[in-house]
Formats: sequence, C-alpha cells, structure tokens
Amino acid sequence: MLNRRTALAASLGLSLSASFMTIALAQAPAGKVTVVTSFSKDVTDPIKKAFEKAVPGLTLEVQNRNTNAGVKYVEETKANNQVDLFWASAPDAFEVLKGKKLLTAYKPKATGIPDKIGSYPINDPAGFYFGFAASGYGIMWNDRYAKANKLPEPKEWQDLAKPVFYDHVAIAAPSRSGTTHLTIETILQGEGWDKGWRTIKEMAGNFRSINERSFGVPEQVNSGQVGVGVVIDFFAFSAQASGFPVKFVYPSVTTVVPANVGIIANPPNKAAAEAFIEFLLSPTGQEVLLEPGIRRLPVNPAVYAKAGADYPNPFTDPRFQKMIGFDVDKSEGRTAVVDTLFDQLISFQLDALKGVNKVLHEVDAALAKKPNDKAKALAEEARVLLAAMPVTEAQAASAELRGAFTGGKEKGARQAEVEAQWASFARDNYAKAKTKAEEALKAAK
Amino acid sequence: MNATVSLTTPAVAVDIEGVNLSYGTNHVLKNVNLAIKPGEFFAFLGPSGCGKTTLLRLIAGFNHADTGEVRIGSKPITDLPPWKRDVGMVFQSYALWPHMTVRRNVAFGLEERGVKRAEVERRVEAALGLVGLAHLAERRPSQLSGGQQQRVAVARTVAVEPKVLLLDEPLSNLDAKMRVQVRRELRDLQQRLGLTTIFVTHDQEEANTICDRIAVMNDGIVQQVGTPMELYERPANLFVAGFLGTANILGGKLTGSGGTRVFEIEGGTRVPVPADAQVPEGAKLVFRPQHASLGDAGPAGDGILALPCTVANREFLGASVRYGVRIGTTEVAVDVPFQSGSGLFEVRSSATLRLSPHALLWLAA
Amino acid sequence: MTAIPTTTASRRPRRIAGTPGQIALALAIAAFLLMFLVLPVATVIYVAFTEKGTSTFTLVNFYDFVRTELFMRSLWNSFYVSAMSVVWASVFALPLAYLTTRFVFRGAAIVQTLGFLPLIMPPFVGAVAMQLFFGRNGSINLLLDDWFGFKIDFMEGLNGVIFVQSVHYFPFILINLSAALRNVDRAMEEAAQNLGSSGFRLFRRIVFPLAMPGYLAGASLVFVKVFDDLATPLLLNVKDMLAPQAYLRVTSIGIADPMGYVISVVLIIASVLAMWLSARALKGRDYATTQRGGGGLAKRVMTPMEAVFGYGIVILILALVLAPHLGLLLLSFATIWSYSPLPDAFTTAHYARVFGESSVYIKNTLIYATIAGGIDVVLGVAIAYLVLRTKLVGREWLDWMATAALAIPGVVLGIGYLRTFYGVTLPDGTPLAALWITIVLALAIRRLPYALRACYAALQQISVSLEEAAENLGATKARTVRRIVVPLMAGGILAGFVTSFSTAAVELSATLMLVQSNSDAPLAYGLYVFMQSAAGRGPGAALGVVAVILVAACTFLSHLIIERSQKAKGMGH
Repeated sequence: MLNRRTALAASLGLSLSASFMTIALAQAPAGKVTVVTSFSKDVTDPIKKAFEKAVPGLTLEVQNRNTNAGVKYVEETKANNQVDLFWASAPDAFEVLKGKKLLTAYKPKATGIPDKIGSYPINDPAGFYFGFAASGYGIMWNDRYAKANKLPEPKEWQDLAKPVFYDHVAIAAPSRSGTTHLTIETILQGEGWDKGWRTIKEMAGNFRSINERSFGVPEQVNSGQVGVGVVIDFFAFSAQASGFPVKFVYPSVTTVVPANVGIIANPPNKAAAEAFIEFLLSPTGQEVLLEPGIRRLPVNPAVYAKAGADYPNPFTDPRFQKMIGFDVDKSEGRTAVVDTLFDQLISFQLDALKGVNKVLHEVDAALAKKPNDKAKALAEEARVLLAAMPVTEAQAASAELRGAFTGGKEKGARQAEVEAQWASFARDNYAKAKTKAEEALKAAK
Repeated sequence: MNATVSLTTPAVAVDIEGVNLSYGTNHVLKNVNLAIKPGEFFAFLGPSGCGKTTLLRLIAGFNHADTGEVRIGSKPITDLPPWKRDVGMVFQSYALWPHMTVRRNVAFGLEERGVKRAEVERRVEAALGLVGLAHLAERRPSQLSGGQQQRVAVARTVAVEPKVLLLDEPLSNLDAKMRVQVRRELRDLQQRLGLTTIFVTHDQEEANTICDRIAVMNDGIVQQVGTPMELYERPANLFVAGFLGTANILGGKLTGSGGTRVFEIEGGTRVPVPADAQVPEGAKLVFRPQHASLGDAGPAGDGILALPCTVANREFLGASVRYGVRIGTTEVAVDVPFQSGSGLFEVRSSATLRLSPHALLWLAA
Repeated sequence: MTAIPTTTASRRPRRIAGTPGQIALALAIAAFLLMFLVLPVATVIYVAFTEKGTSTFTLVNFYDFVRTELFMRSLWNSFYVSAMSVVWASVFALPLAYLTTRFVFRGAAIVQTLGFLPLIMPPFVGAVAMQLFFGRNGSINLLLDDWFGFKIDFMEGLNGVIFVQSVHYFPFILINLSAALRNVDRAMEEAAQNLGSSGFRLFRRIVFPLAMPGYLAGASLVFVKVFDDLATPLLLNVKDMLAPQAYLRVTSIGIADPMGYVISVVLIIASVLAMWLSARALKGRDYATTQRGGGGLAKRVMTPMEAVFGYGIVILILALVLAPHLGLLLLSFATIWSYSPLPDAFTTAHYARVFGESSVYIKNTLIYATIAGGIDVVLGVAIAYLVLRTKLVGREWLDWMATAALAIPGVVLGIGYLRTFYGVTLPDGTPLAALWITIVLALAIRRLPYALRACYAALQQISVSLEEAAENLGATKARTVRRIVVPLMAGGILAGFVTSFSTAAVELSATLMLVQSNSDAPLAYGLYVFMQSAAGRGPGAALGVVAVILVAACTFLSHLIIERSQKAKGMGH
C-alpha cells in the first residue's frame, strides 16, 4: 500500500493541491474505471497509457460509442449502472445527461485552470461536468482538390456561399453531430437568428453533402471526394499530422468550446472516477493533449509552454480573444428546434435549395457582365424567400415548441405535425424562390 | 383418328457404328454396332450397368462417343447438340416440369420449335387425346398418378413428331398391373405412329412382349441382336441364354472330333454331339426346362438321351410342374406339363431325365 | 436411378396436429423468439402506438406518417431502390450461379467464394473504399475526367444506393440460387433439350423456374435487406429513404419522437409482407423435383466459344463486385490517398498498428459468429421443418416472427436488449446484458432470417416421399429428420450457416450497443473504433482486410466441405 501511495504522490507531483493528496491517500482508488466516450483511439490510447502509469492499480476500461449512442446507453442502463464516466466533446450531451439526473456533481481539486476559455465557461457552473480540452470550429479544405477545381482559400463562413464553392462543401447534420450543432449555434448567436439562418442557408445552397457522422466530413475532405468541410479544428490538425494535403482556418465568427468529462450518477467506482478527472486536469494529463494524433487545446494555460510555437493558444492568441461569447443556456434551450429546422429546411430539401441557388449563381454571373436592376431586385426577392424562417427566435425558445420535441406531458403539437408544417413551408418558399430566380435570370440575360 | 394421322412422320432408320465410350478408365460402351430399321420397336435389354441407358443417352445427345458414329435416317448426328437431333426421349423419371401444367408441358417442345400458337394448341390436344388425358390438361404434374404422368411424358415427346422415340425404362415406376396395361398402350401407340422406337429395359418380359427386335447388352457389349424368338431359340452365348428365360447349364468337356464328338458332363455322363452342332471353345451344355422330361429309370428311346437324376424339389405352377433335379452335383430345372390324375415324382426319389439331342445347345460365355 | 414421382402425398393433410415432440419443439422456438426478439423489440417500439407524453394507445402517429410528405417520399424511394437492387443483383448473380453449378467450370469453388465476398464488406471502410474507386473524385472518375473530360455518377443519389446495394447484397441470390440449381434434376433440363430447347431459352423456361424457390429466397432477402438497410444510404448521404429516417430519429439525442419507431413498425410490416408474397408465389406448386439419393449426373462441358464467353462474363462481374475489396486492400497499404487515382505511397504500418489488438477481436468474432450461425441453422431447420412438414396450428407465425427480425434496425434490438436484460442480474451483480452471450444472441436473432430462408428452400426441394420411405422402414419422425432430412439439406444448411456466420462477423449496429468491454468486442467494433479518427482510414482498412480474409477463409472451407460431402454422397456432379 505504501508503495502505491508513494508512486501516486510522486507521479501527480507538486502541482496538485495538498487537499487532493489527502483525499487520494485516504481513498486509494483501485480496480477498474469504466468510461463511455466518443473519442477515437487516437485520443483514448495515449491518455489511457499515461493515466495507468500515473495512477498504478487503476485500469481504464474504454467503451467507445458515438455521443448519441453513449447517452442512450447510459440512460438505458441506469437501473444497474456499470459506467463511471462520460467523456465526450459536445456540452449538449452533458446537458441532456444532467437534465435526466444521470450525472454526479463533483468539485475538481486541480488548480491552474481559468474559469473561461475565450468567453465560454470551462466547467459546468453546477459542477456536473468539466472541460478538459478546448476546440474551435472552422473550415477545412483539401489543397489538391482546391487547386484542381481552382477554389480560392476560404476565410469566412460567407465565403462558402460564393458561387465558386457551389457543390464543393460538406457538413455534418447538426442533429447528428454535437460539434456541428455548436457551429450552427455559434453562427446563429454570432450573427443573430435571421441573419445567421440566411448565412447558413446560403452556404447550404452550395452543399455537396450533409453527413450523418461528424467523421464523414474530414473523411470526404481527406480523400478528396469533397473540397471543403465545416469541421472542428482537431479533425483538420490530426489529418495534417497524418500527412493529408488539407488546410484549416478559424473564421472570425466562431468560438472555442471545451470538451468535457463527467461522473455518471451512482458510479460503481467513484474514487477511481474522481482520480481520472483529476488526472485529466493535471499538468501531466493536459500535456498528453499536445500529441500529434490528439492536438486538442489544453485548458491549463501553463501547459502551452511545452507546445510548439505554432500551436494555437486560445489564452494568448488575439484571434481567439475576438471570438464571440457563447450562451450555453440559449443553445441548450433550443437545441431540438434548431436541429429540426436544419433537417426540415435544409437536409431534406437540399435538392430544391441547391436548385434555386444554382440559378441565383447564374444570375450573379450575368449581372456581373451586364447590370440589370430588375433582375437584381428579383434575385433579392428570391434570396429573401430562401432565407425566410417558419419560426422566430422567440418562438424557437418557447416552452410550447420545446414540448413538441421532448414528449412532455403538456398538450400541444406533436413533433411530426410541427415538422410537416416546416417542411411544407420550406417547399412552398423554395418553389416560389425558384420561380423568382428564373425570372431574374431571364431578365438578366 | 385425325389426331393420329397428324402426328405421323415417315419412319427412319437408326444406325450405330463402332461406338466406344469411356468415363476415365471405365470402358462403358465397347465397339457397339447396331442397325435399327425404320418403324421398328427396338429394345436395349440388359442388367443394370450394362451400358444400355448410356447408349440411349448417346443417341439423344446427352453422352458423347469417343469414337464411332450415330446416324438417323442416314444423316450423321454425332456432332449435333441434343436440341437439334429431333429424337424424342421419355425419361425414366418422366421429368415433367412441376412449374407447368400438363398442357404447358406438352406444348413446350412445339413452342421451342416456333410452331404457331393455334397449331400448338391443336397438336397438344391431339397428343393428349392420343394418350387419353385431354381432360387433365390444366392439372399440374404433381396432381397426377404415376401412370398418368407417364402418359403425359409420352404425349409431350410425341407431340413434337420426333424422328425417333427413345423410352428410358418407361414402365419401371409403375405397379405391375399398370405396367401390363401401359406397355400395351405403348405398343399400340407405336404401331399407330409407325415411329422408330428404342426402348431401354432390364425386364426381358417387357422386351419380349412389345419389341420387334432386341439387342441384349452386357458389360458394354452388344451380346446378340434378334427377334425375341430368335434370342430364345438360338441364344448366341451363355449370357443371352441365361438372361432370356430359364436355361439349364451343365459344364463339361468336349472330346473326339467330326461325327464322333462326345461331351462329357462333369460327373461322367457322356453326351454324343450331333455332327451339325457348333461347339465353341469352352462351351457348356444348355437346354430349356420344357425341353426335358422326367421318367422312371429305364432304357432311353432312339437317340434320346437318358440321364439318371434325383428329384431335389418340386413346384406346382398350374399348367406345369417344375422339378429341380440333381445330376451329379448340378441342379437343373425340368418343366413337366400337368395333367390331372397323372402321378408326380416325390422329392428325394430317383428318376431319369430324358432329352432330345435337338434341344441341346453348346454355348460359351 | 430410381425416381420419385412427385405424387399427391404432400398435399394430403398428413396430420391434424403434430406429435408431442413437434408441439414441444414449436413451443420452445416460440418461447425463444418471444424472449429474445419480440419482447425486447416490443419494449422499444410500443412508443409508436402511444400518444405524446402519455401511454394511451393511439394510431395518430401512423396518421402523421401517412400525411408527411418526407415519409411518403421515403417509402416510395425505399420501394424503388429495393426493387431495382433486386434486378441488378439478379443480373450479377444469375450468370455466376448458372455457370458454376451446371457446367464443368474450373475454379467454381473460388468463384463461389469470391462472389460471396461482397456480403462481408466490413462496415464503414467498405463504403470509403467504394468512394475511392467510384466516387465523384474516385480513381475511375479522375481517370475518365483526365482522358475524356467527363465523369459518371456511380455513387450519386438513389442510383448510387442501387449500385452499392446490388453489389453488396447480390451474394444472397448467388448462394440461394446456386444451392437450388444444384438440386435441379438434370433430367428436367435434358427433357427440355430433347424437345429442342437450348441456351438462354432453356434457362429461362425450365432451369430458372425450377430453381425458383432458391431464387425467390435470395431475391426476397435482397429486397428486404435493401429496404431495411440504413448504413449504405447514410454513407452516400441519401436520407430520404425509410430505414435511414428511422435510424436518424431513433438515435437523435434529446428527442422523444415516436416517428422513428413508427417507421420501424412500417419497416417490419413491409419486410414480412415481402416474405409473405414470395412464399405466396410458390404456393400450390410442388418443387420437390429432386432425384436425391440417386446417382449424380455429369455437368455439361462448355464448347471453347462458350468457355471464352463464360469466363469473360464471370471475370467481368467479379471485377466489378470485388472492386470495393481491391480498394480496401489498397487503402490498407496506402500512406496518403487523396484526390488521386492511386495512393501516394505504400506502407505496412497500418497492419503493424492493428496487429496487437486484432487477435482478441478475431477470437471473439470467430466465437460469436460461429455460435450465432449454429443457433441460426438449428432454428432454421426446425422452423422450416415445422412449417413445411407439419400441420401445427400457427406454425407460420414462427416463420413470420423470425423473418421480422430482418426488418428490425439493429439499434432498436440493441436498446431493447439493454432494456430487457440489463435489469436482470446474475448472483454476483453483473447484469445479464453485460455478458458476451447477449451479443451472440443478438447476432443470432439478427441473422436468423438468412439461415431460415436457406433451410426453407432446401427443404422445399426435397420430396416428401423420401421421408415417408424412412418412416415406412421404421424410423421415427425425429430419426427421419436426423438421418434423412438433415443430410439431404446439408447443402442448404451450410449455405445458411455461411451466410449467417459471415454477416454476423461484420455486424455492427446491435453489437455497438451491447459491447461492454474491449476484451469482449468483435472485429466490427474494433473497426468502428479505428474509424473514429480523422487521421486516415489506414488502420481501419487493415483491420477490414483482416476481417474479410478471415471470413473468406471460413467460407471457402465451407464450400470445400459442401463439395466433398456432395461427392461422397454421390449427389455431386
């Protein structure tokens, strides 16, 4: 026992607070700690190795599931829970778990971690989950593809709406990818509800594909099936580290949000779960994030001293300081509405949307050669029709609409009804927009 | 009888010349030569494995000869695929297609020949009428009895008016009573159509009752060709003698020469051999049971052979009594006509077997 | 050479009820299916019949389904894609099956094995490999664009789904049709030749109709599989089909939407309906055409012209359907493969990376898939026998139940298992659902329809009189099954086992829900873990190649066993 304690104390080092050492010594966690995670082997393997070295006697049992399946799993098995920790990127998933009372509150002892990264709080204020690494959202593109198709380097979200990117952009569906959901939400919060949706729909008019998995996007960009992808930064970084000819940029409207870890309610090995969190937040654990296969941004600013000069540092890099604040509560309150709007107005109407957009691009090209006010006005009418939303920002956050998606007890519209309404709204508007756009094209020629 | 007329085609001859066929080292057909006459009802008869079915399938085109030729109506068909040969075959299993009705089964070959629709229907009716199954045309094969299936198979084959009809053991799946009836029908049909027909069977009674001529086969070799009576009266060898009807065979040795030849039966009895008798090398003495008679011990009549024997068993057959009698160590069968009131020989009693020299055959294997 | 006349025996009611043994067997199977299929699934999809927020029974959700344009469009698309996939899968499968079973065809066993491979395309990597070859910027299109300045949309939209699905699932038709063709009595074919039929007409009018039970078994599987498959459309980003809609809704986070389960119910109904229709199509026809037990007849020898043509077609089809595997192989050795016809360079590093971990996955996969396949053929034979050879009341329900498993999305079954069995604990406190045997049961249930169809078709082709002969000679029903029926069905049973085994070996959706620890995980899970990375597909592809080789080796072995046993029994050719 003495050996283990000594080793534990030595490996955790002096950076740990004295109070934690007391607890660690008192409880001496041992055995198996089970974690459900959406992180890839590239991430979990090095961390598992470092953790088991740092805390001898503990083994980390990794259950790999995507975020959604992980949440379902924890929910379905709560009666006889065998999982200690949930470990994933999207804060929303943790909000769902928290909302269903499937997490245990805890207060980490680690020091040196600020309250916020950019303007995003690193930890859940209620203490149910904790950020351990940060990621930003941006645009990734394949260099070979861009050269072959003569694509310029994108810098802002609006760039992706330009005619030159028509049919070259990929994204993951926000309803399927927590990180993409945050990207969409970031644009909505950064540009405002109506303008944000207009940006998103104008981008969407150029979409080549809307993927069902987050990994599908870097996959397609890496292999050159699609030129440009909307992704979380480490997808691009780890692809670069493997040698793929891809580049990445953070647009100015973006945010850095933490990836999180939290203890499941009623964990089989609570002490071990706490030890894992403490390890992740310790300098040793934070340094593992710098490995080329992981490339996440540590939440402990001191750790960046060990990183290369070109490693993005959200705590000092001015780019990140400009980034917008992100309202987690606002995002959480309308998650289902935003995702369903995206699905009904964009994913399932993509062909119609692209059809209008293609004509509008042709109008733009014609107008560039020969200006025509009537055509311009018609094109703008078409764009307004495309951008129109069936619900306002206030409605989107309303309890009534939320009720349709939560299956709550309150009487109200069923989800299917709401969806059918939105879908027919989009269909009608896109059809009208198509007519306008075609008129504009006729006028412009 | 319009139907019959419309299904008749001029009969043709089938010639098989120097056919050899081997499967690996297994020599299945050995230099087969046969000339089947136009309109003849011809049988390949032999035990199973003798090559008779192989030969039939060779004519149909399903087997290929290593050497030799098959001609139908003097036209060589050796290189033709089965579907261009125009020989109709009735399969042992009938091979009726279960996914088609009787009508569609029968129409099949006509449709394949591109016969016009109306003509197809007419000839199907004719063919089914011929076998008396017109009323079952819409049934599926699985709804028919064995005999009906057999008749459908025949109708299907004759509907296309083949040059030659091949029947592969067509009666083997029928019960004994049906067999007698169907074989008469087959014979009748063949007579009416005048179609050259080859019939494969292992049953000598079937062959004898309906065929004009028979090729007896054994071990891939045609042993003898002839009418049923020729084969019975003058078998070419021991195999034919034994396969057709019952034959008593006594081993022995030939001594002397010219008019003084003597055949000494095992056990010592000496039988004089008529001067005109052909006795091949290693021959045995052969006679039919009904050509011998049994009597009390006593001198033989003029030229009649008398052999002392013991009665070993006795079977009453109705019209005759068959005795098994022992000559030395060999048991032979003797059929004695039964007349009421006449005395019978008791088992284990001694008797004399009498034989006319003209009834004797000397045959080799 | 004795033939069995296909008499009326099969249509005579043989028995009003079954023997006590048959009744017990039927009850046992029913209990098994209720316990491991109906109950878990019911715990999940009952939501489809409840009113929002309450547990009152309602059909309003189905009303919503019919009213929603997206769902109706998806329904139509699913029908269209499934039907077209059957057509194309038949185009691929028919020549391979016919040439390898009815002719002297050198390498028939290899063709059969290679033709089987597409079925064991591992999840994810298979689609990636296909994109690399056939995608918009895949090798073929890059070359076409370079040389001729145009591209072909192999992988776009519904046509892309049809292309990938028919390549993926045509082995179902190949396997079942081959087994059926082997069983067609050659006299049937010869009788037609004798009457002047040959070539394609002979095949179309006689051989193919006689092999219809096998073809329909395969085609209905393809139809239902394509109808219920969600992975391929999703990987091609086609969302307006039913199965992807169900999956997207069932697994979307934080949404308590009954529509996902409503769609699942629709999928189940459609699948059972398709199976019922295919059974219906064969009703009233006696396909017991075999002369089994008699001597086999020689296969036909091809003329040189036919041989050139035959091998040409076989090679062309194999090249097309195996392109994904070639792509996978290249990918597993590639350093970087991006927007170029071929990878930049080659390496064995990916194999080194997966080597250490793959042994436990391989071991688990072999154990799970073998047990699952074993359970499937036992159940398959039993259900087929009960349905075809007894008159037990409600015996068809066993068939429908087992078949419905085909339509149940893996994720629904996975959640159902967790719900049903996680609360059940062993004496030491481990949940029942945490044991690896749960994974095996889920795999067995998921793959049961494959084995069942194969066994069903095999039994359909055996004449009842062979069994009656055995009973007549004093064998009891049970002994008849063991000594006559099962040996005669051997080909079909093995085909069923191979299908269940190999598809179970690459099954993911239900497995993913049920895997509790890495040490219990099968290969597909390992693949999934390796695919959760943006750092390239090399390691995943390497593991995929390992999976394919493993399953292919087992398949080839089974084919050898089939050939040998057929030969030994004199049924071979």
